[in-house]
Amino acid sequence: MTKLAALFRFLPFGLLATGLLAQSPSSPQKPGTDFSHDIEPILRAHCTQCHHAARKSGGLDLSSYEGILKGGNSGPSVKAGKAKESLLLQRILGQGGQRMPLGFAPLTDKDTALVEKWINEGARLGGGETKKHWAYAAPVKPEVPRVGRSDWVKNPIDAFVLARLQKEGLRPSPEADRTTLIRRLSLDLTGLPPTPAEVDAFLGDQAPGAYERVVDRLLASPHFGEKMSLPWLDAARYADSNGFQQDGDNHQYVWRDWVVRAINQDMPFDEFTVEQLAGDLLPSPTQDQLVATGFNRNHMLNGEGGAIPEEQRNVILFDRVDVTSTTWLGLTMACARCHDHKYDPFTQTDYYQLLAYFNNVPESGVPPGGGQYRIAEPWVYAGTPAQTEALDRARRAQAKAEAQLREAENSVATKRALAEWKAKTMIEVHRAYDAKVIVESWNVAPPFKGSSFDEAFDTVYPPEKGDWSGERERADWEDGKINQIIGDNTAVYLRRTVHVATDAKVLLLIGSDDGVKLWVNGKPMLSHKVTRGVVPGDEKLVLTLDKLDNEIVMKIVNGGGIGGFSFSLVPGGIPVELLGELMSESYSSRAKVKQYFLAVAPPRDVADAKARLDAANKELERVKGETPQVMVMSDRAPRKTFIYSRGNYEVPLGEVHPRTPSPLPASPTPQPPNRLGLARWIVSADNPLTSRVEVNRIWQMLFGRGLVRTPENFGVQGEPPTHPELLDWMAVDFRESGWKVKRLVRQIVTSSTYRQSSRVTKKLYERDPDNRLLARGSRFRMPSLVLRDVALASSGLLNAKIGGPPVYPYQPKGIWDGLSITNERDFTYPQSKGADLYRRSLYTFWRRTVAPGNMFDTSSRQACTVRPSLTSTPLHALTTLNDVTWVEAARVLAERAMTAQPHDVNAQIETAFRLVCARTLTDREVRVLRKSYERALSNFQRDPRAAKDFLSSGEERPSVQLDQPALAALASVCLAIYNLDEALTRE
Amino acid sequence: MNLFFERDLRLSRRQLFGKAASGLSVVALAAMLQEEAAGQDKTLGIPGLPGVPHFAPKAKRVVVLWQGGAPSQVDLFDYKPGLEAHRLEDLPDSIRRTSRLSTMTSGQREFPVLPAIRPFRQYGESGMWLSELLPHIGSIADDVCLVKSMHTEAVNHAPGVTFFLTGSQIPGRPSFGAWAAYGLGSVSSELPAFVVMTSADREKTCGQLFYDYYWGSGFLPSKYQGVRFRGEGDPVLYLTDPPGMSRELKRELLDDIGELDRQRFADFGDPEIETRVAQYEMAFKMQTSVPELLDISKEPTSVLEMYGADVHRNGSYARNCLIARRLLERGVRFVQLMHAGWDQHLNLSTQLAIQCQDTDQPSAALVKDLKQRGLLDDTIVLWAGEFGRTVFVQGDVTRPNGHGRDHFGACYSLWVAGGGFKGGLSYGETDDFCYGVAKDPVHVHDMQATLMNQLGIDHKRLTYKYQGRDFRLTDVAGEVVAGIIK
Repeated sequence: MTKLAALFRFLPFGLLATGLLAQSPSSPQKPGTDFSHDIEPILRAHCTQCHHAARKSGGLDLSSYEGILKGGNSGPSVKAGKAKESLLLQRILGQGGQRMPLGFAPLTDKDTALVEKWINEGARLGGGETKKHWAYAAPVKPEVPRVGRSDWVKNPIDAFVLARLQKEGLRPSPEADRTTLIRRLSLDLTGLPPTPAEVDAFLGDQAPGAYERVVDRLLASPHFGEKMSLPWLDAARYADSNGFQQDGDNHQYVWRDWVVRAINQDMPFDEFTVEQLAGDLLPSPTQDQLVATGFNRNHMLNGEGGAIPEEQRNVILFDRVDVTSTTWLGLTMACARCHDHKYDPFTQTDYYQLLAYFNNVPESGVPPGGGQYRIAEPWVYAGTPAQTEALDRARRAQAKAEAQLREAENSVATKRALAEWKAKTMIEVHRAYDAKVIVESWNVAPPFKGSSFDEAFDTVYPPEKGDWSGERERADWEDGKINQIIGDNTAVYLRRTVHVATDAKVLLLIGSDDGVKLWVNGKPMLSHKVTRGVVPGDEKLVLTLDKLDNEIVMKIVNGGGIGGFSFSLVPGGIPVELLGELMSESYSSRAKVKQYFLAVAPPRDVADAKARLDAANKELERVKGETPQVMVMSDRAPRKTFIYSRGNYEVPLGEVHPRTPSPLPASPTPQPPNRLGLARWIVSADNPLTSRVEVNRIWQMLFGRGLVRTPENFGVQGEPPTHPELLDWMAVDFRESGWKVKRLVRQIVTSSTYRQSSRVTKKLYERDPDNRLLARGSRFRMPSLVLRDVALASSGLLNAKIGGPPVYPYQPKGIWDGLSITNERDFTYPQSKGADLYRRSLYTFWRRTVAPGNMFDTSSRQACTVRPSLTSTPLHALTTLNDVTWVEAARVLAERAMTAQPHDVNAQIETAFRLVCARTLTDREVRVLRKSYERALSNFQRDPRAAKDFLSSGEERPSVQLDQPALAALASVCLAIYNLDEALTRE
Repeated sequence: MNLFFERDLRLSRRQLFGKAASGLSVVALAAMLQEEAAGQDKTLGIPGLPGVPHFAPKAKRVVVLWQGGAPSQVDLFDYKPGLEAHRLEDLPDSIRRTSRLSTMTSGQREFPVLPAIRPFRQYGESGMWLSELLPHIGSIADDVCLVKSMHTEAVNHAPGVTFFLTGSQIPGRPSFGAWAAYGLGSVSSELPAFVVMTSADREKTCGQLFYDYYWGSGFLPSKYQGVRFRGEGDPVLYLTDPPGMSRELKRELLDDIGELDRQRFADFGDPEIETRVAQYEMAFKMQTSVPELLDISKEPTSVLEMYGADVHRNGSYARNCLIARRLLERGVRFVQLMHAGWDQHLNLSTQLAIQCQDTDQPSAALVKDLKQRGLLDDTIVLWAGEFGRTVFVQGDVTRPNGHGRDHFGACYSLWVAGGGFKGGLSYGETDDFCYGVAKDPVHVHDMQATLMNQLGIDHKRLTYKYQGRDFRLTDVAGEVVAGIIK
């Protein structure tokens, strides 16, 4: 680049800079120090944790200007003009007392110098800072400006935008053509391209209101909720697994479906808010209202071996405060976790008072162990109506079977049988003690390692076939104790001999980590595939040993980590502790003996009833396994909440109670001090933030950028709105008209502002590169989730089914498997088959540790994200050029076009292009794509094998009726079309 | 170059504006732009920030050899002959105090001291004490700066790794590599600025998962995140052309796309369109440059032998070390090699030696290889894990495969070579029981600050405003450790 070019690059920016300064409400830089700009942040960061109004350490309150002047027990903190004599500076320097802040790093030289300078300059408060930050004052509906141009101004939005443009000496851009408009609307409102029929209908509809009719059709589409939910899922850090090691799966898709449904039903935003934040606290909440609270349970869960539950629980609490304050209030409360917010008026107390609302959840902080799914308390079963009915039925059947068992157990016949058994048992016991049981020590064969737990458990390893080569004695393994076994997915065989002088009954008590099999004298006696810890007596067996030698073989299979087993053998076949009970006639002894009898020697009808109950229990478990368990909120574990020193949960300071942040107006009507009260406060008319934040979010979705360009921060350090009056007008209007989101969307998209063409002249671009003034329509690359949907929809592959469990579309090898650094769980990607490969991106299983391979530039779903990332990198190009998703879609699109226009190549190209980009091609463009086609055609004719290969991508079988080289050539053109800037861009 | 170049430049301008408002003169601004432009002439990679580096850098490149799972400093680096006298004695209460332990041993009743399981010996002219398990690292001892006084608050893997590599225990901040790419930009027009590779111990006995936020861009634009080269399938996702699509056909296809895109640009004037065309070109180049980079068949036998036999196994730590050198040579700014296998809770006596065997030779080979090519002087090689391990035993010491050491963060060791770090230096000291830092503590944030310093970056000045706060790698802490740099 030449020097001249470098200067040019600088110039347009200079213009922009002036523009920015003009609109920025902050006062111009003044010479000297300024209290709120320079000094207050320092005090907040280092001093006010102890020296605040409530605590006043040393009688000193440094949280207000007045407090500083007043000083503490040692006198005023500052002597205006005389820094060296001021206590404030002396203490910071450690002169005449301990250096402040006590126990923390001293202030930097720079900060110290600022404090010194400020005092020397007179320790003034400074002017102009008494005005409240715009976002903390409730919006007032401003007067709609009178701007003329009634032809252009379609609603108040346009009036505000035009007024601004007129002030800047600019004119709005002309309306985009109808084809662009319907594509823009379809993509914005449903995330799908318009079909050619829809485009034609719009082009042909010359009656007034044609545009509005398209808008209303799209707002009524069930795909509206799917598209609108995408940014909400980002904010809610929704994912289908917990994150961290083991990364257990969850069933939060039920919550995701609730969001889509609520948006499609146009649930008012205040209701949408209350149900998600506090649905469980509403009177007799419905299943849906409970599910809605899943919003605050979409956090990560750390199941690492050494994770400290209380630490993790606090991480989750911090996350809830962040998510809630960012999503609804546009606030960066996280800053106040460790100290008072440096810029915004929020104190650490405000932070922990907000945290207190979320601190009553009966949760441990870590997910339970187990298999593929790891659902942390609290949760509810939340199935479809059919699933719920099945669950109810199974529960009823189980209750009935249980009642029948009780009846059988208490029958007179059972009573008689018990008496007989008792008499017989006494004889057995005496025999067993005469039998002189001798138990040898264990021998163990070398361990066998499987590639999975199932394999290790199911495989018949040599010892089962009698081959015990390499076995050795383990005399150190004691009966009744827990003996350790190590190795992931490992099977260990052990055997021992038991000698008895005569036939005798014995009882075996076994515990195992994890699965266990048992053979006695070669006969299989027990097989339990289970993952669990060692609990002695988990398995109880009564068996009769043959006279002289008996061989006991046991197989213990460990899944992961440390495993082990316990074993004990009780002669006589009844537990030792029961011997005494047998002799006793007390009520409690009889009950115990009966219980034991029923377990080991039940009469026929009791056994039958028990079997029926077992079956009913099994069925209930099966139905439960098929019913999603959704993690929800609950306040069933009230806890005290404390301020944490520097955010460290191990150092609690004073106790706090739930309270809304003090710098914002409290609710005008008294609210309960719980999440329901918080939710109602958030959507109360006096809350200055919620409606602005939501209106801004919707605007951002429709324009690419919000009116406030820092949607995550409406605070002092955020960007002020580009159109403050417009934002306020819309915010108040939105609230006053019942928080109707569809109405708000309609209001925006029917404005002339939205309908402008996105063409930009060099002059206008230089003047306003970021389109802050809205003198043109916006254009931006579509999110990758939508790009995939566009490819599926335009080719006709899309399966438009709405809702349900997540699916597993194409993904390159190794994305999940790469996670599997240990063998702790199987991360094989269970790729879907058939129609499930072509569901909308929204339904793709989202593993929190690693996002789907072809969904680039997405939020990680690990923390709340409210600003989309729309960058451009070579990796994105590789995805849409080479991923089977696009290659297959290109071929299916080509088939579609060829079938529709069998004889005219240009018409085929045009058909395909229209399906993707909606408009018709210019002659020049047709020539370029035709040239591309001809080159590809001759390539594929020369090399039919290549044509076959190119057409083979994906599970959908290619059409063999069509000429293969021609189809391949057209497919390559279609792939080019999918990769045009225009196809990737919402124009 | 077009007047409207791309988003990157506008971003840079925005950064500049921040500086202009705080008093930077317009002349200085113009000079900086020219400097930036001059630097860009030869390269089409991602430009860095104007004004970065803040001062003359000692190093231009970084390679992180991540030793996940936490290697035992007691057994490898921190020589404590005095421990022998206390073998299997309970760790004195006065030493144990209330240090933070993971829940795997915090409930343990006995804490028997276990000295290093293999002898130490001295290496190099500097006479650096290292375990005899590390003969190859010993052979480069005079280039190694061993820091024995590291400490961290983390006690569990994921938070510990996240803390070291992103400056926060909670995921979501930009990783060190992303910060470097953001500040310094990329030198290569054909390869990403920040590349990540992964490997694990062969038996997968003590590994940890690698999460993408270990190389994420956090709130920085996503183009700064590390690009993961995979050991399986395509080395970069979707790098291979679809079946049946020849290079020539692809070239022509891109030309056609480019032609239509340029028409679109002429019509709409949005510079994003030009950016897209450029990114498609780089994608095309990467399809050739990445396979070329990964093809080690032309490496001389002597070099291959230096890395050890494992270098022939795709995805091995040794192979990744060699690829790292090839990446650095080709202008990649930041290479992060993630290896796992040091989490020896119960299998220290068997797995420690195996881990050393797998990693000792390749790590040393990379340092030697860089040195013989004259690249070591301005390349930082960092060999580090998330924390260390306890001096006391976890499990049953009488059982050979039933004991080891638990996580420990109050003191641990790592080493750095090249990039202006002092070779042959053992820095910092721990107490007699290797249970706390006794002298010259180096917090993780201090190490981050020092690494940045060598790249010419003032860690306090490389910031990014997000949610109203200026974030940086070192959060609100970190001091450059003057004692370990030249």
